[in-house]
Amino acid sequence: MDPFGAAWLATTLTLATPLIFAAVGELISERAGVINIGLEGMMLTGAFFSFLVAWATGSFWLGVGAGIAAGMLLAAIMAVLSLKARADQIVVGVGLNILALGLTSFVFEQIFLSRPQAVLPVPERVAVPGLSAIPGIGQAVFRQPVLVYVAWFTVLAAWWVLHRTTWGLAIRSAGETPSAADTAGIRVDRVRWIGILVAGCLGGLGGAVLSIGQVGLFVQQISAGQGYIALAAVIFGGWRPLGVLGACLFFAGTNALQLQLQARNSVPAAVWAAVALVAVVYAVWRLRRPETRSWGTAASAGLVIALGAGLTLARPSVSLPSELWLALPYVITLLALAGLVGRVRMPRDLGIPYDIPYDREAHKV
Amino acid sequence: MRPDLRRLATVDAWAGLAASLAAVALALLVSMAVIAAFGGPPLGAIQSLWTGAFGSTRQVAGTLSYVAPLAFVAIGWILVAAVGRISVGFDGQILIGGAFATWAGVSLDGLPGVVHLTLAIVLAALAGAAWAGIAAWLWAVRRVNEIIATLLLNFIAFRIVGWLVRGPLQEPTGGFPQSDPLLDSARWPALIPSTPLAGDIFLAVALVALLPLVLRGTGFGYRLRLTGANDEAARHAGVDTRRVTALALVLSGALGGLAGSSLILAGQTGVMTDGFNQNLGFYGIVVALLARNSPLGVLPAALLIGALLQGGPYMQAAVGISSALMSFTQGLVVVFVAGSVFLLRRRRATGGHTGVGLAAGTDRPSPVEVS
Repeated sequence: MDPFGAAWLATTLTLATPLIFAAVGELISERAGVINIGLEGMMLTGAFFSFLVAWATGSFWLGVGAGIAAGMLLAAIMAVLSLKARADQIVVGVGLNILALGLTSFVFEQIFLSRPQAVLPVPERVAVPGLSAIPGIGQAVFRQPVLVYVAWFTVLAAWWVLHRTTWGLAIRSAGETPSAADTAGIRVDRVRWIGILVAGCLGGLGGAVLSIGQVGLFVQQISAGQGYIALAAVIFGGWRPLGVLGACLFFAGTNALQLQLQARNSVPAAVWAAVALVAVVYAVWRLRRPETRSWGTAASAGLVIALGAGLTLARPSVSLPSELWLALPYVITLLALAGLVGRVRMPRDLGIPYDIPYDREAHKV
Repeated sequence: MRPDLRRLATVDAWAGLAASLAAVALALLVSMAVIAAFGGPPLGAIQSLWTGAFGSTRQVAGTLSYVAPLAFVAIGWILVAAVGRISVGFDGQILIGGAFATWAGVSLDGLPGVVHLTLAIVLAALAGAAWAGIAAWLWAVRRVNEIIATLLLNFIAFRIVGWLVRGPLQEPTGGFPQSDPLLDSARWPALIPSTPLAGDIFLAVALVALLPLVLRGTGFGYRLRLTGANDEAARHAGVDTRRVTALALVLSGALGGLAGSSLILAGQTGVMTDGFNQNLGFYGIVVALLARNSPLGVLPAALLIGALLQGGPYMQAAVGISSALMSFTQGLVVVFVAGSVFLLRRRRATGGHTGVGLAAGTDRPSPVEVS
């Protein structure tokens, strides 16, 4: 299984980490009813300010803290505008992304343009005792920087909070039926405030992983659409923590594969086999249930399976220029969303401001 | 998910104008504070910004040259907003449209000037429309959220152009990631010699003038606005809302493609480079928001944003403040414009209900909008 070896697995886990943080944050925010397009901007500011502070103080963890704080600051702006001022959530998000791009580029150019490229040491990898000794995958999976483990823990925590605690119930009801939540005594806007702040916190943390966590440096627009892919992962994951984790791993896996394929002069047969395998899984998943069963799905999946199997056997010499390989993660994300139709349901009141009914508004002090 | 863009459009026009101006003033003030915080001269920076944008004929021409692409994008945004959707894919459409304009401009030799230029423009518009058509199809048929789809398509387009300028469209020496120079017959004639101001601004002004006519005076515009106001009611009235929405997205893509054609065919360098879109796809959205989705406001708002873009590099050279700050300023403008809606509504709704709360309860996402 040539391109899908331990190196691919390790790269996938590395690339998935910032996505997981950002997507889990976005998940909480969206379950509370707020769509946060500004996630990309939160990652970018998190990436920059964590780098800035880590560079200035020499402390990795102070940098991480600064990244989180920067993300949460943007989130607070988002919360004030979308909850207090009832501004359009998408418009505010677009504005925050432009603002974050300008702010990080500006401060970066003011401080670092006249200096040689600053490269910080990346955090050491920590081996999990016992598990890292598993032959083959042990070193790839269980010898990672601390924040990789934190990311996986965040998924579990999000699952537990969302589905096993009253807090989670409050969050879900704020996004699903805010009027019922309100009647039950839940302060909808307060829950949404918390949701946005969590998105900012984890988005900033994801950004910190991108810069100081993985490469030890900052380049302009380092987030390069990761925030948008995280948004897509929330949708693809069906607004459920484990689904979101799976989506992040899938997108990161494609990205890791793409990085490997760039260096080769032909696509290995194992990749075609993997394409066929994904199509098989997709077909089973769609055709199992009557409501998603269709001739179109069967035909298109069959075509892809046949094509993948044929190419696996024929082993043609196929290659792409590296620029086009770089587009692959975005293409796959789009295809994944397109293949999803009818299967997931978003929180019912996602993106809709909740206004307290005005007979009660009148009685509010 | 219903983007409530009506809130931008329904406020009183004069109050809206005042709020937009206040948003710009506030954004500039905050930017000046940031300049001061980095040890720059705030007033000197503003002064050099002004000089850079309007100080000489050449500078004014540079500022005006931004108006056409920004206005094309803004019209595209307004069209999609009218139907109640959001497109953020203009940068991708600019890139793809510009790439096709470049191909036409480089390779179709021997055509008379008018024909060549027209052909390149039409090709760019069609390419932009087709690129947006992917998002429209994904939305209408596969129920993919149009915001995410258009965003992802931007990144794909960026990589495609990155490949084109290093591959099929690269200049023959292969030394630089850029295209061959365009043939003169494919380029917009300069209105003022040796400045970037070209005839494309007339096309932009014409389309801005056409927009209210289309929105208010045609059956298509009516169906568009009906769908945007209440798609369920529109469906009951017999409007094929999916088709209308998809058509609006495709048309906005054509406008994005036109913006791309402007950057290439009216650009001063006459070559296509990596990332020639310069984020104008997003700055055009700033223009539309600053204009509060009103066609009347598009040209003045485009002039203002164009001035920031033109004056920025001059400011950088004069006082050493990076022109990237202008993107920050524009982000602030959007944030303040979005926030001002609250104040405006408050002013109108004297006591009690703001007029949107009840609607929020009934604005259920239609099945089409899932994911």
